[in-house]
Amino acid sequence: MKRPVYLDYAATTPVDPRVAAAMARCLTLEGEFGNPASASHDYGEAARRLVETARVQVAASVGALPEEVVWTSGATEANNLAIFGIAEYYREHGRHIVTARTEHKAVLDPCRELERRGWRVTYLTPGPGGVIHADQVAAALREDTVLVSIMHVNNEIGVIQDIEGIGAICAKHGGARLHVDAAQSVGKCAVDFKRFGVDLMSLSAHKVYGPKGVGALLVRRGRGSPVQLAPLQFGGGQERGLRAGTVATHQVVGMGLAFALAQAAPESEAERIAMLRERLWLGLSSLGGTLRNGDARKSVPHVLNVSFEGVEGESLLAAVRRDLAVSTGSACTSTLQEPSYVLRALGRDDILSESSLRFGLGRFTGERDIDTAVSAVAGAVSLLRGISGA
Amino acid sequence: MNYSSLTLQYFETAPGAGVLSGPGVYRGAAGGRAQGTWVQFDVQVDAGTLQAARFLAFGCPHTIAVSAWVAEQAAGHEVRASLPESVQSLSERFEVPVEKRGRLLIIEDAWHAALAAALQRPLSSSPADPMV
Repeated sequence: MKRPVYLDYAATTPVDPRVAAAMARCLTLEGEFGNPASASHDYGEAARRLVETARVQVAASVGALPEEVVWTSGATEANNLAIFGIAEYYREHGRHIVTARTEHKAVLDPCRELERRGWRVTYLTPGPGGVIHADQVAAALREDTVLVSIMHVNNEIGVIQDIEGIGAICAKHGGARLHVDAAQSVGKCAVDFKRFGVDLMSLSAHKVYGPKGVGALLVRRGRGSPVQLAPLQFGGGQERGLRAGTVATHQVVGMGLAFALAQAAPESEAERIAMLRERLWLGLSSLGGTLRNGDARKSVPHVLNVSFEGVEGESLLAAVRRDLAVSTGSACTSTLQEPSYVLRALGRDDILSESSLRFGLGRFTGERDIDTAVSAVAGAVSLLRGISGA
Repeated sequence: MNYSSLTLQYFETAPGAGVLSGPGVYRGAAGGRAQGTWVQFDVQVDAGTLQAARFLAFGCPHTIAVSAWVAEQAAGHEVRASLPESVQSLSERFEVPVEKRGRLLIIEDAWHAALAAALQRPLSSSPADPMV
């Protein structure tokens, strides 16, 4: 059976075969299956060396120090560790957090939970293009602000935020640590933990042709006084006491190699993806009644988000699903069948927010896939507009 | 979301989508696009019998599929302001999730409005729009 064209790379990516092979070598008796915390024998030492190599690979690909990498189960755990960890550790310094309405749920939900516990949260609204300006952050900062959490690349619309500018604002404030969810950034645009002036950064492997179930939180060590965090789990003191639990050697090895491969990818790959995205937009915009969501000049090349006038979102998705694997909203919320809160924050009405498709392009996307996508969407939009009399 | 094969069949082929015109044609609609679900039925009536029905719908696949099925079933039936099946039966036939069953009431309202217009005793809550 012919499978639909996969254009949901922003939700997840297939594991690179080289990554899968390296992971497999960490699982069986013939490989490095030891517990990396077992310092008393060679099995453990061999696993520890692999874990530390992966740490160096991840750090090098994002301009961080190896000792700044804390392994987690993914970006969601990293976001939770950053937000709750800062809130708890600095609770006597202040209980105010600044974030944006367009953040991932893995940031918004922890913030809402902190609100229930008595913290105050300021939710910034982006401009129509999806950009949060540094001066908005500056205006929101208070004396008791302990954390600013702004994502680097938005998962629904692909817009890149000015993290360096926001970092400068936070540094000037002094007490506000800057956390950045960079789950969608690596391999798509430049990420430089040090140059950005960031205190904490969440990373994910499975968006970069690595495995699901592993990520990292970068916790600044150099550049002034180290950032302190209260851990969320206890039990073995791993990861300098910030994330207890046996480190999954195969997972972090996969993440390390995936990040190294992403860093080594030629610039021409980003240009190729950008050209494919424009080919897709050209085809879709010719349908008429199409609105591109997010500022195209400030977006990663891999994401295109389009609203279609005169069609209902769930029907649009159902009408293309035999030919095309795409999503409405983010993968983590699309089962709810609600209008995208990100697009609503950009000023789109409920209907246009719901009638949007997010196209995520990736390493294995080709021109034929794009043409298939345009054809499938054109057919679906035409059918649904006819049925609705639009 | 997963859909039953019947829902997919009627959603993808949408038999009866469109409008009718001419003598003996009556129209009724319910819902609103801004609210996410809107349905319109045109019915053609001759000598107290439904000759044909067409529908337009803005909504989810269940809304489109059920509207198409209702329109398809109409021909040959006596003009009565009731659906060919109850909302409960339709929801079972098309395996409509509980949270979406309210949309079937919009289909029912649109059908009532069209038939009320045909029976020339408009329902107070339905925006009937006679075509003749």
